[in-house]
Amino acid sequence: MVEKTFRPRGVNPALVTPFAKDQSVDEAAFRSLIRHVIDHVDGLVPCGTTGEFNYLTPEENKRLVQIAVEEAQGKPVIAGTGAPGTRQAIELTRKAQQAGASACLIVMPYFLHPSDKGIFQHYYEVARAVPNMPIILYNIPQVVDAPLPRRVVEDLADIPNIVGLKDSSGNLAYTMEILEYAGDRINVLIGHDEVVLNALAGGASGMILASAQVYPEVWQAILKAVRNGDLETARAHQRQVQKLSRIFCRYGGGVAVKQALRMMGVDAGVPRSPLKSVGGALIHEDRAEIQLELEKLGKITVPHAISRLPGGPLEGRFEGIGLEAQAIRAAEGKVGTAGAGDGMEAIQIDLLCGAKVGAVGEAWAYQLTYPRHGYEALTTILEPNLTVRPSTLIVPANELQDLRQANLIYGPVQNAVAKAIVDKLAEGVIPEAAMHSDVMFVQAAVHPQASNRRILHHNAYTATCSAIDSAFAA
Amino acid sequence: MNKKPDWFSGIFPALVTPFTPGDELDEATYRKLIRFVLPHVNGVVPCGTTGEFSSMALAEKKRTIEVCIDEVAGRVPVLAGTGCQSTRETVELTRWAQDAGASGALVVAPYFLKPSYNEVFDHYAEVNKVGLPIVLYNIPQCAGTHYCWWTAEGMALAFENVIGMKDSSGDIPFFMAALEKLKGTIGLFVGHDEVVGPALLAGADGAILASANLIPDIWQEIYQAALRGDAEFVRRRQKEIQILARIVTTKGSPQAVKEGLRMIGLPGMSNVRLPMIQGGEFEREDYEDLRTQLENLGKIGTQRVSLGGKEVDYALPADIRARFEDLDLCVGEGFAGPPFSELAHIDLLLGKKTGPVGKAIERARNEPRPGHEIEVIRERPLTLLVPTVTVRGAKAKQLVYEEASSGVNLALDHAIARHNLPEALLDDICLIANVFVHPAASIPQRVKINNYKAMRGAIRKALEGRPSLEELVAEKESARHPFRYAP
Repeated sequence: MVEKTFRPRGVNPALVTPFAKDQSVDEAAFRSLIRHVIDHVDGLVPCGTTGEFNYLTPEENKRLVQIAVEEAQGKPVIAGTGAPGTRQAIELTRKAQQAGASACLIVMPYFLHPSDKGIFQHYYEVARAVPNMPIILYNIPQVVDAPLPRRVVEDLADIPNIVGLKDSSGNLAYTMEILEYAGDRINVLIGHDEVVLNALAGGASGMILASAQVYPEVWQAILKAVRNGDLETARAHQRQVQKLSRIFCRYGGGVAVKQALRMMGVDAGVPRSPLKSVGGALIHEDRAEIQLELEKLGKITVPHAISRLPGGPLEGRFEGIGLEAQAIRAAEGKVGTAGAGDGMEAIQIDLLCGAKVGAVGEAWAYQLTYPRHGYEALTTILEPNLTVRPSTLIVPANELQDLRQANLIYGPVQNAVAKAIVDKLAEGVIPEAAMHSDVMFVQAAVHPQASNRRILHHNAYTATCSAIDSAFAA
Repeated sequence: MNKKPDWFSGIFPALVTPFTPGDELDEATYRKLIRFVLPHVNGVVPCGTTGEFSSMALAEKKRTIEVCIDEVAGRVPVLAGTGCQSTRETVELTRWAQDAGASGALVVAPYFLKPSYNEVFDHYAEVNKVGLPIVLYNIPQCAGTHYCWWTAEGMALAFENVIGMKDSSGDIPFFMAALEKLKGTIGLFVGHDEVVGPALLAGADGAILASANLIPDIWQEIYQAALRGDAEFVRRRQKEIQILARIVTTKGSPQAVKEGLRMIGLPGMSNVRLPMIQGGEFEREDYEDLRTQLENLGKIGTQRVSLGGKEVDYALPADIRARFEDLDLCVGEGFAGPPFSELAHIDLLLGKKTGPVGKAIERARNEPRPGHEIEVIRERPLTLLVPTVTVRGAKAKQLVYEEASSGVNLALDHAIARHNLPEALLDDICLIANVFVHPAASIPQRVKINNYKAMRGAIRKALEGRPSLEELVAEKESARHPFRYAP
């Protein structure tokens, strides 16, 4: 049995690389980021995939490793030194050694697809060229486009300075296979945030994660719970960060982590081109979800907000869309209101149905001509290209403060309203003739901190059905 | 030795299977379909992939093949789809087809469980023993099993009854290898509508196509041109139907074909069988797209209808009852993508200048609001472009006021030219197009094209009062709203 000089374990963040607006490495921000996490982690990983290593020059790579070593307070620094070519990987590994790294994380060679023999030779040559440097193999088929073959790993594990494998695939069958064939010689670190608990329970020694710079204490708690055999606690912790971990893993990677850090007040800069801060791999809608999840985790303070439900006589609640009570009565508009649910998912629906020809129809057309900022009206659809009839505008009763609130109104609430209208058409409560002669407004009041889409959908459906019943019963 | 029989050449539609409201084979409509395609084709394929063979019971497949053979009455060959998942059932159906008088059998690679290549080989060895001419059928998109060229070659050489292969993969290197190894030994058919022209020019003997239900005449023209070596004609004609071919191959073939047939004159054609559904893989935006393509090809005629108090010509698909909205306030929604960032979503209002739409435009012109620029993008018909969300920055401005705007304008031009927006109404009506451009949009051309598509659909839906009550009720449970769920 080969004696390994270094055994990677514990919680290790795959640090993002902060770039300034001019795309240069922001060293000060990098130092602040490390100071933000260092007390909660067991080691640091600069220049990994999350660190956009493939956009760094060899000099930048070395400099970042050097800074990490300076800031690590004696904890191990595992430097990312992978490259498509073997010569480049050797050069980076040598530089990392000069910079004081404890180990190197070397991604499977990518772009040209080397054979199993080529992959073996790549790692073999690096290990031989830098014999005193412990090396961690790195499987990440999502970006390499191919898995690191198990049989290659099985053989590489015999090399004295190959000490571990980071598995970011999320493919637990692969993780188990590596543990089975090489677990006696190298440590396996899980690199996929969504399956940390599962991998630790299966025998992984630790983790290298993008999210370990956002919520390292959660990962420490899971590690501890698994070690103590307390799976119930571990499950609860994993569940708590599941959605955020999913967003980091699948919908944005380092870009999403940078956004999360910024929301938490840690300046992580911007990504390097061609990646965009938002609107690329990380879409605006998911960025809004990150905010919500960080609020739930207590990582950012929730702005104080109260729910305002429209009150007073029902016919007087449509002034925002330009219809006074008198005009509604004159136009013989039908109105109905209902609430459903409680707490943050409580909802109130105020509904108005009226003839296309006349004041209601005119107000309806005008809403789509001059959208009111924060109260934008959208036609109600079951799904795109399937608009309900009578044509219905869904209007937020309270001003929308951010995209997350908009997502809830235009997503689950709108969908529930659409379903309620079609169900009431099918039941005959809304007469079929109204599909052609009338238009409707649905004013929806939703708590600004509502977050559970499923419950919100249910409540919006219930409230809309009742509001329709009362409007059309008269 | 060349095993290809003379009859295995040319254009064979992969016939769709019409069903009755009770979900049985609709024989009458099936016979109509066969009569519709027969003048233009060299053979027909009942119970192929487009015929939804995988959703049919053995007895139903037999009946369908039987009706097909009866209706064709020997005028063209009938190549029956007899491939099943198990060898046993495939042999049974193939043997039955032989007795029923089919010219040959189209036998798909055994699917779902993934047999290894030698298991696939032995599967065909058993079917070969039946004695009916066999056409190998490669369609990895559905079967999940892709022949390697050496498997195809091996089977073509080893089995005396294998007389051809249909390749629906669209994998041109694979098809070229098949031509290299097997041309002159068996007949080679292309089954992917998007690459028919290149395949024929490279030496394919014919094509079995979903879209040959819809445009058998055009495929026959292309085939004839390829036979006489007129590559220029093949290229030009293929290009004219490329969008239609892409919709049919990639967006739910059977339903695309069935809806297309309803539009062009077979109103009795049913929808697909569950679990495929209307508005499913063939999405509603694809319906509008296909309709546009069929209009462009002259396959959808105009009808005299009453609209806004005037008698006008309107390009109306055969299956739409002319129930036009009054022109007070017509609402039409249009959505088109991909990609996500460049998707277009239009809420369209269309109505008389004297009605709510006209009044809204009048009021907007009289009460301008700084920061929210609405723009009259044309005077005839009077059309106002409204951005759904406040436009911020120069790039967004360009995408809304130049790209989306020109897409909307082009849609109006085409709608007028194609009788979707009658010329006689243009002075009476006005439109408000409330246009959503995503803040992350980058690609100008897609913003323009998606807005064009969304607007074409929105105009039609506004005038025709779609979706109907029936459509809404049918889809109220299965509809999937994209923003209902968390990431």
